Amino acid sequence: MRMVVKGNGAVAHAVRLSRAQVVSAYPITPQTSIIEELATMVARGELDARFIKVESEHSALAGCIGAASAGARTFTATSAQGLALMHELIHWAAGARLPIVLANVNRAMAPGWSIWTDQNDSLSQRDTGWMQIYCQSSQEVVDSVIQAFRVSEKVLLPTMVVLDAFFLSHTYEDAEIPEQAVVDSFLPALDLPHKMDLEHPAALGNLVFPDRYMEFRRKMDLAHDLALDVWDEVGREWGQLTGRPYGVVEEYRLDGAELVLVTAATAASTARPVVDRLRDAGVPVGLVRLRVFRPFPAAVLRSLLGGRRKVLVLDRNCSFGHHGVFHQEVKSALYELPHAEQPRVCGVIAGLGGRDITPDDLGEMLTGVWEGRIQDPVTWWDVLPARDPATAALAMG
Amino acid sequence: MVELNPKFLEDIPLTSYSDNPITAIKTGTWKYVQPLYEDRLPACSHLCPAGNDISKAMDLIARGDVAAAARLWRAGNPLASTLGRVCPHPCESECNRGQFGGAIAIHMMERFLGDRSLDESFLPEKAKPTGKSVAVVGAGPAGISAAYSLALAGHEVEVFDDKPEPGGYLRTGIPDYRLPKEILDRELDLVKSLGVRFTCATQVGADITLDDLRERFDAVIVAVGFHRSRPLAVPGEDHPDVLRGVTLLERILAGERPELPSPLAVVGGGNTAIDVARSLLRLGVEPIVVYRRSRLEMPAIPAEVEEADKEGIPFHFLTAPKQVVVEGGRVTALECLKMRLGEPDESGRRRPLPVEGSEFRLPVAGVVTAIGESADLGLLPEAARDGWRVAADERFATPVDGVFAAGDAVSGEGTVTAAVGAGRRAAAVVDRRLSGRELPAAAPSLQRLWRRQIEAGHPVYVDQLNPAYFTQVPRPQLRELDAEVRSSSFDEVVQGFTDEEAVQEARRCLVCGTCNECCNCLFFCPDVAIHKRNGAAGFDIDTEHCKGCGICVEECPRSALTLVEVES
Repeated sequence: MRMVVKGNGAVAHAVRLSRAQVVSAYPITPQTSIIEELATMVARGELDARFIKVESEHSALAGCIGAASAGARTFTATSAQGLALMHELIHWAAGARLPIVLANVNRAMAPGWSIWTDQNDSLSQRDTGWMQIYCQSSQEVVDSVIQAFRVSEKVLLPTMVVLDAFFLSHTYEDAEIPEQAVVDSFLPALDLPHKMDLEHPAALGNLVFPDRYMEFRRKMDLAHDLALDVWDEVGREWGQLTGRPYGVVEEYRLDGAELVLVTAATAASTARPVVDRLRDAGVPVGLVRLRVFRPFPAAVLRSLLGGRRKVLVLDRNCSFGHHGVFHQEVKSALYELPHAEQPRVCGVIAGLGGRDITPDDLGEMLTGVWEGRIQDPVTWWDVLPARDPATAALAMG
Repeated sequence: MVELNPKFLEDIPLTSYSDNPITAIKTGTWKYVQPLYEDRLPACSHLCPAGNDISKAMDLIARGDVAAAARLWRAGNPLASTLGRVCPHPCESECNRGQFGGAIAIHMMERFLGDRSLDESFLPEKAKPTGKSVAVVGAGPAGISAAYSLALAGHEVEVFDDKPEPGGYLRTGIPDYRLPKEILDRELDLVKSLGVRFTCATQVGADITLDDLRERFDAVIVAVGFHRSRPLAVPGEDHPDVLRGVTLLERILAGERPELPSPLAVVGGGNTAIDVARSLLRLGVEPIVVYRRSRLEMPAIPAEVEEADKEGIPFHFLTAPKQVVVEGGRVTALECLKMRLGEPDESGRRRPLPVEGSEFRLPVAGVVTAIGESADLGLLPEAARDGWRVAADERFATPVDGVFAAGDAVSGEGTVTAAVGAGRRAAAVVDRRLSGRELPAAAPSLQRLWRRQIEAGHPVYVDQLNPAYFTQVPRPQLRELDAEVRSSSFDEVVQGFTDEEAVQEARRCLVCGTCNECCNCLFFCPDVAIHKRNGAAGFDIDTEHCKGCGICVEECPRSALTLVEVES
């Protein structure tokens, strides 16, 4: 059924269609309408789930972990400070190999207090063992949440489905909401192999000595390797079922592209018409949109970017002291290319705390890099200049 | 089972778990505190002047054992059916369920338990005869209560009363629409079944003296109550159409249907005033209640005032009588003064002060006075009187050897429930005296009488509950006769609970401070150190493994667990 739906509504519909059995969540702007809608669905009987109201995000995820350990399909959603508060249990969920799906609406971390988008909240959870997938439209949100349950339950790792605050979470657009029968055929009921067994009581997550701990971690890493293929297969299968195939990355006008913009989330949809315009003006520009960020599709990126002249990575985040996160990761992936095939990589940090990244901004970035005006490894975009970076860092204003 | 000798990653489970018994490590050595199941006093019982073990009885009813609950209630309270109807139920004012949908209708539950236990099988077992005897002067609630407890303790008890039938104010002062007399009679039958003798129409101090009683009995309890109307002390009060409320109620209760002038001003704000006004209405007379303070300061039971409202009885608040106007030999009006409220007086209520020049005349054909009662202490020597009250100390002993006193004549508390509680406590002191033991410095608290391990302190109020475990469940609506029907009938107004309603209501009880075996402690114990007793109530704590983390205490919904320091 076609619906006009905002990103948060798309999440709720996908969770309903996925037949989540336990939703344990705590409200936070801009995530709130996801769980409000889910609570309504549960109250109306449209979703046969237990909705657990909790007093914090820490408890929200604890609820999911308990339910998932017992074999239930579980979902939660949060943003920014809420995700940070979950952090301890974010590690736990992955280490316990529980296929929980979490929707994180990207919101900038405080202080200064912000409710608007950037990616530092979710990227701060990069090394927890969770899979992460960044969406650009309501349609992709619907499809990715359903796929996330399928992939998570296959590789036994949790997935964070990430969407931009407001640009996606609160913007209404047209999307196809699949029929329940379609989703049911794609996503069978969860049968968790290591679910709690009352006949065989055990203490979960008990003390592990140095002679064994590393093996558990190695298995998690192997699961990530496996997951990259699974995301690919599942995206293709979904395409056969619905006509909307997905890959771990999205390629756009890479034929003959000598400068490739690499970015994620809604900034990529803004970039597409800009790429078209520059192509019309004779600039050989292409676009790679990162979709699955964990596991990281390094080999795919090498194959798409190897041999190009230049790559511009646009980050809506910053790993303070060293570039944007996507920039670092793309660059490290490309290091394995033969020297002659390594493109020159520049990074731009833009749009933090919800600042707009306009088509004009993107046009200027791309032409700037193409024409050699932008050569610094990292450029902070659309930000007040420093009279002297050394003094500005400590200036009291 | 965990592979002990893994060769490959495949031999390692997905995530760490241990199927070793958790008891392998004796975590009990870590603790310096340990949980203790305490039978703590709930707020309701803390406020119950009769000393009823409310939450325990509710728990028993909720589990379907109405008979056990009734036996528990009757253990020290012979007037459950009566109290369920006439008690102002202070217990409900602080009922912790109040925060979660409305207080438990405890008075309705008491009435339910009382009405379902009106035969002897519900009485506690009587102790062996002691050969000692006690005379009780006054067959009102305090006297009945004292006689009941003393008879249960194995003493011979004879109750003297100047009225033709026992019951005191319950019989002569509380209208039938609140307390049908067959209820009182059946509860008196229970007391009689224990061997208590009632000698009525015998006034101690006239027909027989206190010294006669002291000679014949090993102890005497004076429980004469309050039944003399206090005068208004205004001009015109001696007119025959100025009636005493207490006397009027007694006549009506005796079955008289007197011809009365109408309208009648009923002066007072206590239960007598309300009872008189509502009784007059039922006799076809128009009552007008005149009270010198405001509604808030009325000593009457608020629910009774509300009923009077529903029945359409008019109230003149902040109005005090100045004189009864008599013209041509007939009462034509009550001249009144408007009042205003000043600072609180010694009763804690705001003192009424006259408004100068505010006199006005309320046209009435007569007046009923109901501004309070006092005791008739003619039977006692001067030394045993202290103004309006009997001089009795904290163990209910008067200066006359072997003579004790309890009830309104001592405390002036003015409720049946307080009289029942006092009678019970006085009986405990007298019992001690008769068994030859030394008297305590003060009478034991009621809570000590029913749960000996409880110290009266530390009652459980709402701030000590774990609100996460309680949801809002509304208090049930009570079924009442229509106001239309009532105005011409002395039939009981409030209808009792059915079995089903009682069980429903008992299930709303939070059972504050008492373990009701909800098993939350057991579920939450991270060391599996709490075990349900086999075939017995309650839980055992495995001290070898309890590490004193306190999670059970935190998660106990009802504050029945406390952390106590472990002696090292």
